[in-house]
Order: sequence, then structure tokens, then C-alpha cells
Amino acid sequence: MPQVKIIAKNFMDMVASLPAIKLDLLYRNQFICEAILRSLPPLAKKYVLQMLYIDIPITSKSLQEWLLADGSSKHKVAIDRLIQLRVFEVIDRKKETTYKLNSTFQTNLRKHMISGGILPREPIPQSVTARLPTSEELDAYAHEQWECFLLQLISSGQAKKSTSFSSSMMRIFQRGLLRQRDKEAPRLTESGFQFLVCIMKLMALLPLFCVCGLMDPYTDKLNEGKIEIGSLSWPLYLNWKTLMQLFFCHFVARLFILCSDFHVLVQEQGVDQADLIAFLLELSFHTPGEAYSLDTLTDDQTTMIKDLADLGLVKLQKGRKESWFIPTKLATNLSVSLTDSSSRKQGFVVVETNFRMYAYSSSKLHCEILRLFARVEYQLPNLIVGAITKESLYNAFENGITAEQIVTFLQQNAHPRVAEKIPSVPENVTDQIRLWETDLNRVEMTPAHFYDEFPSRDVFEAASDFARMHNGLLWEDAKKMRMVVMAEIHMLMREHLRGQNK
Amino acid sequence: MPEKCGLIDIPMAQFIVNLNASLPAAHKFIIHVLDSTHFFVQPDVAGMIRSAISEFRDQNSYEKPT
Repeated sequence: MPQVKIIAKNFMDMVASLPAIKLDLLYRNQFICEAILRSLPPLAKKYVLQMLYIDIPITSKSLQEWLLADGSSKHKVAIDRLIQLRVFEVIDRKKETTYKLNSTFQTNLRKHMISGGILPREPIPQSVTARLPTSEELDAYAHEQWECFLLQLISSGQAKKSTSFSSSMMRIFQRGLLRQRDKEAPRLTESGFQFLVCIMKLMALLPLFCVCGLMDPYTDKLNEGKIEIGSLSWPLYLNWKTLMQLFFCHFVARLFILCSDFHVLVQEQGVDQADLIAFLLELSFHTPGEAYSLDTLTDDQTTMIKDLADLGLVKLQKGRKESWFIPTKLATNLSVSLTDSSSRKQGFVVVETNFRMYAYSSSKLHCEILRLFARVEYQLPNLIVGAITKESLYNAFENGITAEQIVTFLQQNAHPRVAEKIPSVPENVTDQIRLWETDLNRVEMTPAHFYDEFPSRDVFEAASDFARMHNGLLWEDAKKMRMVVMAEIHMLMREHLRGQNK
Repeated sequence: MPEKCGLIDIPMAQFIVNLNASLPAAHKFIIHVLDSTHFFVQPDVAGMIRSAISEFRDQNSYEKPT
């Protein structure tokens, strides 16, 4: 099955890419409707709310009358998004486009607004659960699970504790993110590397905020002032929650998109993709830190919850009679959809012009990532020393990692002391990385066919234009009237030439 | 059977011509020399050409003994 190359930027994009039938099924769940509503751009939210109780379609002209003069680009973005998510249904009638809210969505959102949305489960009272993990313990657990999982991804031998990931989970990731050749340890593919880099970007944000004293990780409050996130004036704080959630979004998006087999696999387990999304979104409305009984889950959900626990989304615990799960902050922030935050992050890599690399980090994950393309020489408590060599780069290229990715990674993670310099990574290093990559690809081969002995120049020129139109012309010699055409259009070419002969 | 057209830089092209010349007549793979950077070759030699190139590249690199 070919890998799907669309990279959804977040969970909502991925939801938007589901087929219409699935989306309609999803909209039967009130929580999903609310989650989708929250994820919309502000103008789109306004439109949805205004049309919530209107049953007849509204012409797009009247919609535009609601706008101020400078709002037309935002209007377009909002409308596109609504159509993409199939919240708006477009009805073309006699040259006038009209919009109507998706009826399932409309009904359920109305219900949700009136009834307030009651979760299918109540938290278990304290008397049964005794001592629940504190907020810090939960966060530490989630973080640990997540790092463990990422380490597992890169190098199966190195994770500190043996993970109990179900084989199907590992298969999913291995298909999309790792590649395993016979008898070798699994290695990362290009998309896997991209994924890792993305995660790293986001994880790197965490220590910055804690260290700067800007954020108290335990109470999730910014010490100074407030920042408004999203359009609704949530009393939100740019905080650990949202950051973790950001990278979780990326993770889930890639989980579904990169591994187009996931759908198949998920169905192998008998779990429908839409159900999984529905469950994840429902989870996001639970209170983190509260225990919910496992008995309230459907069979499908019980299958899923084990894997979610391995990823740090929930924590499973057993009491004397009951077992329950506790959602962590990773899970509860799924419905918050933010645009990519552009905050500066703390880099840690210094690259010198002699190709030596110093990475001020103690994270195993960082070490593994650097090992992918550089030769790590020493590892000190707070420093990783390495060198970028031809052999290490060839290794990386063989795994499908491109020079561009490596250079971007180095530039984006440049240590603050060098980050201000232009360029943050020495040019001789970046140039050499690119040169080494092209060195591997000095010869390019394409299956092709050779044509010569054309009866006349006109026929030759017609044929050459034909080939060019189909993007199939590889080489031609006008003087000797010879040309080489891609094998893919060979059949078309033959027919064209036969046509010419008549 | 589609034959392959190679796009190469000039030094590499020379290398390939030499490689072709060094092989016995039965194994010669260049069908047409199109110009200084393009060749039309037999279909199944791609792997062989690439391994010859990588051997050539390895001969040109020095790795410090660790």
C-alpha cells in the first residue's frame, strides 16, 4: 500500500480528511461536535453559532454581508475550513451558492448546548480508589512513557525498561516510521526522522518555560500575565498542557496519516478508525487526574485503552474489585487545537567549521537522534561530543534521511550562543553535507525508449512536442533526428506516430 | 524491454565509457552514446553500474584507521 504523503498539521486536519460517511458518523457524538467547534478559526465559529438555529440555507452573499471590508481573506479561510470538515453543506441553486449546516452536526450541537454534555461515565469516588496519583506524578508518568516510546522507536535495544507495546502498535510504527532490513535492527525512515524532529521541536519547548520561571509546571499558570490562545477567551495559559498537546496532535496525525496501513491494522483488531477518533476526542473532555471505571468502556475502547496507556495518555490502575483508568493531560488536551506556536525554543547544538559537533543535552533521545547522522564520540553528563563525517552521513542517506532535513535540524536546534550568528551552522558544513548527498546520486537512470530514423523533420518535431507535452522527453538531437522518451509514454508515442503515418 | 537512459556528469561519463570498454563483448552495455552526459544502455545493468561507481568512490576515500 503506498504511503500517504499528506502531512496533516494537526489532529483536526486529519479528521477533516476522513470520508464523508465517517464524518457523519463522528458528528453523532456530541463531544466531537464541540471539539470540532473549538478547533475552528474564530470567524468560522461565529458562522456556525449564528447558523445553529437557522434551518433554511443561507446564500453566500448574505454571509458576506456580515463581513467588514478587510475580512474577506479570513472569510475565505473560514468557509474553506467549514466545507472541508463538512460542517457546511454547499447547495448550488440557480447560480447562487447557499450554505447549510450539516444536519447531524446541527442537531447534536444544539443538544449539547442545551444539555451541557454529560460524559458517559462518572469519576469513581475516592472511597474506592484510595490514593490517586498526584498531578506531578501523572505528568511524570506521561512524559516517561512518551520518551520511552520514542526511544523504542529509534533503537530497539536502548529503552530503559522493556515496553509492553502491543505487537500491533509496534507494527504500525515500524511500517511507517521504521524500516527493517533482514537481520538488522530497525532503523528510521525519512518520515520517521521528520516525525522525530517535529516531536523534538515541541518537547524542547518544555524546559524553556520551566527554566525561565515563566511557568509553574505544577499549577499550569503563567507567572506573569495571561496569553490568549485560540480565539475564545479561554483563561488559558501557554503552558505545559498545551505544549504536550501540540506534539500529541502531531503524533496522532502522523499515526494515522503516515501509516496508511494503520487503518487496515486497526480494522484487523476490529476497531474502526472513526471509533478511535471518537474515543480520543471523548477522552479529551474528561478531567485529568480523576479515575474512571474500565467497565464503562465498550469492547473496542477497552482494546484501545491498553495502547493508549503505553503512550502515556492514560494510566491504568487496579483496585481490589475494580480497575480504572486515569486520563493524563496528554489526553485531555486533544480538543484544543492551536496554530503552530512560533515561540523560540532552546537549541543545544553547536557545529564547528571543523565538522565537530557539541550538543549540550543529557537526553538519550537527543543522543540517538544525533547518532543517526553523526559519529558520537564522547558522552559527558551534560554534553555530547561528536563529529559529522562522510561515513555517518552516508549511513543517514542510506536510511532515507535527506541532507536538507539534517541541515534544517541543525539550524533549528542551534545553541543560543551560535543561533544569533548568521549562518547558525557554518556554510562549509552545510555545503559539504549537500555535496556528499549529491555524490551518492551522480548517475540518474530512467527506463526509456530510443527513437530514430524519422521520415521527415516535421514528424520529428511533432513527436518531440508530443513527448514534451507529456513530460516524457528525456533527450533529443535535432540534427540527427533522434530522441529518447520515457518508457511510461511509449505506448502513447507509438499511437501518435501511427497516427502521423496515415 | 525498456532500456535505460543515464544522466551523468562528464567525469562519470568517462568512467562509464571505460567500464564499458573493459568488459568483454558479450557484456558491453552501452547501446548509444547520446552525448557527453547521456547514454542509452541495456536495461539490467543499473545495479552493476551503481556498484561499480560506489567501488570507485570508496577507492577515492580515505578513512582514518580507528
